Amino acid sequence: MTFVQKYLAWGAGTLALLIALVFALPGGKVRGFDAAGFGNIPILDGGRVKPLDSLARNSLLVIHSRQGFRHEGRTIGPDEWILDVMFRPQVADQQPIFVIDDPDVIGLIGAQQKQNRNYFSFADLSSHLEEIQKQAQTAQPIAPQKRTRFQSAIINLFDRAYLYYKLRNTLQLAGSPGLGWELQSISDAEASARHQDLMQLAAFRILPPTATAAPDAWQNVGEGLRAMAAGQGVHPALVPLARLNAAYVANDAASFNLALVDMKGVVATLKPGALGHANNEIVFNRAQPFFVGLSIYFVAFLVLCVSWIWKPEILRPTAYALLFSGAVVHTLGLAARIVLMGRPPVTNLYSSAVFVGWGAVILGLIVERMYRKGFGTAVAAMAGFISLLVAQNLGTEGDTMGMMVAVLDSNFWLATHVVTITIGYSGTFLAGAIAIGYAIRKHIITKVDAETDKALADMAYGIICFALFFSFVGTVLGGIWADQSWGRFWGWDPKENGALLIVLWNAIILHARWAGYVRERGTMVMAIFGNIITACSWFGVNMLGVGLHSYGFMDKAFYALTAFIVSQVIFMGICAAPARFWVEKPHRKA
Amino acid sequence: MIKTLASRTLAFFRSFQLTIVLLALLMLLVVFCTLAQVELGTAGAVNAYMRSFFVWHRFSFLSFPIPTFPGGGLVGLLLTLNLIAKTFGIQRSWGKAGMWLVHTGLVVLFAGEFVAGMMQVDTNMSIEVGQTVNYVQSYKNMELAVIDTTDPAWDEVYSVPDTLLSKGGAIAIPGTPITLNVKRYFPNAELSNLAPGTPPSMATAGVGPGISIVERPTVTNDNEMNMGSVFVEPVAGGRSYGTWLASTAIGAPQSFTHEGRTYSLSMRLRRQYLPYAFTLKQFRHDVYPGTEIPKNFSSLVQVVNPSQKESREVLIYMNQPLRYEGKTFYQASFGKNDTLSILSVVENPGWLLPYVSCVLVSLGLLVHFAIVLRRSLKRRQDKKES
Repeated sequence: MTFVQKYLAWGAGTLALLIALVFALPGGKVRGFDAAGFGNIPILDGGRVKPLDSLARNSLLVIHSRQGFRHEGRTIGPDEWILDVMFRPQVADQQPIFVIDDPDVIGLIGAQQKQNRNYFSFADLSSHLEEIQKQAQTAQPIAPQKRTRFQSAIINLFDRAYLYYKLRNTLQLAGSPGLGWELQSISDAEASARHQDLMQLAAFRILPPTATAAPDAWQNVGEGLRAMAAGQGVHPALVPLARLNAAYVANDAASFNLALVDMKGVVATLKPGALGHANNEIVFNRAQPFFVGLSIYFVAFLVLCVSWIWKPEILRPTAYALLFSGAVVHTLGLAARIVLMGRPPVTNLYSSAVFVGWGAVILGLIVERMYRKGFGTAVAAMAGFISLLVAQNLGTEGDTMGMMVAVLDSNFWLATHVVTITIGYSGTFLAGAIAIGYAIRKHIITKVDAETDKALADMAYGIICFALFFSFVGTVLGGIWADQSWGRFWGWDPKENGALLIVLWNAIILHARWAGYVRERGTMVMAIFGNIITACSWFGVNMLGVGLHSYGFMDKAFYALTAFIVSQVIFMGICAAPARFWVEKPHRKA
Repeated sequence: MIKTLASRTLAFFRSFQLTIVLLALLMLLVVFCTLAQVELGTAGAVNAYMRSFFVWHRFSFLSFPIPTFPGGGLVGLLLTLNLIAKTFGIQRSWGKAGMWLVHTGLVVLFAGEFVAGMMQVDTNMSIEVGQTVNYVQSYKNMELAVIDTTDPAWDEVYSVPDTLLSKGGAIAIPGTPITLNVKRYFPNAELSNLAPGTPPSMATAGVGPGISIVERPTVTNDNEMNMGSVFVEPVAGGRSYGTWLASTAIGAPQSFTHEGRTYSLSMRLRRQYLPYAFTLKQFRHDVYPGTEIPKNFSSLVQVVNPSQKESREVLIYMNQPLRYEGKTFYQASFGKNDTLSILSVVENPGWLLPYVSCVLVSLGLLVHFAIVLRRSLKRRQDKKES
């Protein structure tokens, strides 16, 4: 590699990192309003303090499946959206953000044929809310696995509409003159009923605990108003909130920004540290490291594919440098999550996908350093891309940094058992991915290259050993955790069985190889089957809906899993296809 | 001839084919067991597939079940033999030290699961705040308790396990003049008020005559309960006290008096009395602020053990069980508006084996991979030099 080539390659990698950095920078003001600053206000939701921006993003993800949308020729981000929902519901209600895919549900709300048929605004839904609620309540008692497609879809729509409805009635009752008016008419005849509504509908708590209250006793606006009506004085944060509200409605950006400064002043006095924490989380939210990482992996993979037919001496190192940059972004994202949550990297299904991808990429980087065939890069980039894509899809269900239920609340076991077993998943997937690459290569490469084949087989073998070690140790550690918390080492729970299957399969591969029953190609076919087993034990057991480990049924994921299994079976077929199917037949041994 | 047979057997148990076939069978069993849990519940599926030597299936055209697949017990046993044979087959050299450790560790692990399968007893203890409890009770097994309640300060408890009830016949209660004639036993039944016009009940005393009973198939699902019911006729001093219906579905005990002593009859989950007692002083159910997400469950328990002259407080909480006198008490559940704490109690003499195994296998794999790595690095070095 000449100096220029090296320079070019690492230049591309640095460029990717710079682009990632641009994402983390704060955006400009919206119509003069410091919407980003508003998103920075810390709130208590889901048991933890987070910036309002996180809630806005997650709510928009749940409702709209994306963190932003285009409306009337402009892109509306989460912070501006939440401002509109809470302070100008008449504007937000017109924005078409509800995605409805189920034709029966579209029929139910009597939708007209629109140009953009799948998107509906809250105003479109509002006249059918009662019907939606009625249908959802009939479907609710049915077990998730037994619901029809329509029932699942209507419950889903109801949940989203209800979330929106709650958001819109959190800081002020939608349709009322606003929070300032609420403060003035604190003792009128209907005030108590309004306070009650605000308390019940509040989506989050925005009033930090006062000096005399317990440190966790955040209040929502309704609770603040009720305390005020009871003569306990005005909560100091209510006044700036009311000014924010009035200024936003009056389209007065200057007063809005001033009120925001006062609001933050109040928060800083009452809850020092909360603002700083919210700030950090906001940088993480903006940077979207996993989305950026996913994009870089994709580019790296494309560059590598091109390198096989054009200028490999430049493009292969470029792809490697890009993969490296992707891994840097990915690692920073993981580290940020660990710091923000104060927990080990894997706490739920979403973070397990992020971590599996990370493990596969790191392993791939190591393999590439050892063999330098471009193969490690290709497989790692693809594995990183796919697993982050899976994570992005899993992340649409709400806060990905939710609190841990009591039995999982153990950093020690989360750090040991969960991380080890997830590394085991990474290894098994990476071995499977290498095997797929090997299979495809056999059919498209035009000259026989036994040396590369051998190198690939060695890589897969090494990684299977690695995966067996981690999945075994992880499984046994899981047993020990179970012994500590449920009183038995092994209970044949579906998740435990899934982990055991991975261990058994890797053990079968290795024994079959040691005994000489399979050789290069056989090992590869078996390694691809490992993908199926890992995917089933990772996601499949959640779909059974039994056992202590089932954290929720995912109906959409069922189709994705089936498609994945079918694709792997096809790859096994391709890999097992005998030599007469290859482009170039190997020389017969004389 | 015997020698060849022995060496053939040894060769069979030592073969890689056997290992792979058994591992594959075990995989299939694990898959079946997992899928069956949807229908049978965890305990039912584990008993059918894992804690048995054969998986039995009842075909509609046969009156008796036939084995259709080797069960977890058989596969596990063969795998253990295979492992032991293999372990002895491994070269006795330092180069194979890792493999020795791994396979020894696996044997220990299997032994642990066997011990658990054969000897583990799962029970539970539910205590309300302020209450003192000196027994653990079974999840599924039942007993007919005959309690001498004459002395208000002291209950004398005699119990007949459900296994004995199912055999029927006359059962003498030792220590009392009573003999119980078991008329009919239902492992699971549904009780309802006797409608007018239906045939009269077998029972002639207590609440039984007003109740009609229908037998139901037993359930194994984790969250369903069998309603064990029995018709018994207590006979004492040659005198019959009528036929009584006892059932777990009947809450209140029913009693009769013989020669000035009052005996109550009740069907209940099987109890095991302990030489010590637990008093629940406090139960806490913490949630994360502003949510319903549980943050912690904990029970503050006073352990009183007269034989050890011991009386101390213990806090049992999530991931922090109490190991006491061979039993382990875990925080499992709660109820009655956070005033009832349910501890699950496990007695497994082999609980340490998995820990030993984990250390052996992890160490073994590390040693082995280190040896392999050293060998391959050396090979690379040699290649470079040559």
